[in-house]
This record gives sequence, structure tokens and C-alpha cells, in this order.
Amino acid sequence: MAGMNDDGQWIVMLGFIISIILVFLALIVNQSALIGKTTAESVLDFPKSEIQDARAEIIEYYWNGTVNQPNLNYDLLNISLEKKGTVIWYQYNPTDDSIFIHYNDGSTEYNEIVRGP
Amino acid sequence: MVNNSGQLYTIEGVAAGILIVVTAYLVVSTTTVLTPQDVHIIDMQLEQLGSDALAMMDTPNQYGSVDARNYSNLTTFIMFNNQTEFGDQFLFYVNNTPNIAGTGYDRLNYSASIFYENTTNQINTTQFGGGTYYRENAVTVTRWVYLPPFNKPVTYPDDMISNENQTVLLEVLLWRE
Repeated sequence: MAGMNDDGQWIVMLGFIISIILVFLALIVNQSALIGKTTAESVLDFPKSEIQDARAEIIEYYWNGTVNQPNLNYDLLNISLEKKGTVIWYQYNPTDDSIFIHYNDGSTEYNEIVRGP
Repeated sequence: MVNNSGQLYTIEGVAAGILIVVTAYLVVSTTTVLTPQDVHIIDMQLEQLGSDALAMMDTPNQYGSVDARNYSNLTTFIMFNNQTEFGDQFLFYVNNTPNIAGTGYDRLNYSASIFYENTTNQINTTQFGGGTYYRENAVTVTRWVYLPPFNKPVTYPDDMISNENQTVLLEVLLWRE
């Protein structure tokens, strides 16, 4: 310690500042990996394709003229309950030519009334 | 204590500090750290690709006709148990990625099965073609397929209904080999 002097204190201090900045940069990199994961996970969890698919199928019934057949209701409901644990239900209302569509997978619920699709 | 000697060294220190920080920033920002959790992103893209392909195949040319050519491709493939043509068309859609080194197309494979409500209101399943699955990292995509009354091919199970309108669930396991 006898040889120590107070020269070059600015350089030492800059070294400290830079190392602190590097810690913050590392924190940001750490966060960005998490963001990619959570974004992809929430996209995977949200049943966008399932809802679009069920909706397309029900509206296809309408165009086929089979929207009033109760066995199609139960095909959709029973298979989706068994395979995905999801409730898919729809009801055609002939008085105002509309279809009520219900989708619920336990975390996402979707209701829609399509009028004269 | 404080004097103005060594100012050039101070400037050099500041410049070197900026250089180091900029270099560190450039290096860090050009690299993507692919952690094991990030395969979710790839799964997401694969799932989207698969359901888009099935949606394309399940779109009829026009609605509201009993004419067979106005059923969607998926409906006709399942009605005639045409597993080969289903496979050809599905793989054509999902593998149709240009400029991949080597083959020129992607190397996705699939295994499909049909889930239907049988004559005793139970859910049953039958295989609908595809490759052999060796536990690759796979995603599942599904599509509801409308079936009109049809002449059931003998290759289908006996308990499958064919004399009334029905909806079956086509489940496709999709993976990259």
C-alpha cells in the first residue's frame, strides 16, 4: 500500500461507471428473453383458431341448410367436450334469421350473434 | 489536489468507455439467445401454419348446393377415405416454403386421425394416414369437418354413421423432421 498514489482516479471511476452500465444492459437482455416466451405462450393459449374454426363450421351449416338439425349441435358439443374440454354451442333463431354462437374453454369465453350470415 | 494535468488521459478514458459500451451494445443486440423456453415461438408458427392449411382445404368453392364438387376438399377426402390425396395436398401446402437449402421445400410431416360420434353416441377415432411419429416436438391442429350422408367406404369402422349429416373432428399432429 505504500506505493499507492491518487493518480488516474478518473480512469478508475469510469471503470466503475462502465461496469454498472453493463449490469443494466445484462438486465435488459434477461428481460427480452422472458418477453419472447410470455408472448408466444399467450398466443398459444388464446384459442383464436378454435373459435374461427367453430364459427366457420356453424356458418357452413347455415349455408348448407342444416343449421336446424340437432344432431350437428351435439356432434360439435360432445366431440369438443371429449377432446378439448371445450363447450361449443349454437342456436339458430328463425324469426330474425340469426345464429347464437357460444364458445367456452374454461379461460376464454366467446359469445356472438350472427345476424343473417 | 485537483489540477489540470493529464487532461488527455481523461479524454482517452471517456472515449475508451464509450467505445466499450457501444461495442457491448452492438454485440448483445446482434445475438439472440435461444433458451429452451423459446421453442414456444416455433410451436406457435407451426400451429398457425397447420391450421391455415386445414382452413384452406376446408373452404368449398361455393355454399348451399348438394352438388358434390361444392363440398370442401377436406369433406370429399374424408367421405371417400382418400388418405393419399389428403396427404399430398396438406404436405404441399405446409411444405411450400421457397428457397430452403438442399431440397427447396420444408420438411414437415404429419399424422392425422378422425374423431367421430358413433352410433351409440360415443366418441371414437380412426386413423387418417400420415407418416410415422418418432416423438419429435409436435403440435396438434384440428379442424371441424362437415360430412353429408355418404356411401361409407369399407375401410372405415362399422360404428361410423353415414346416413345423416354429421361433423367430425380432424386432428393433425404436425412436426418438423
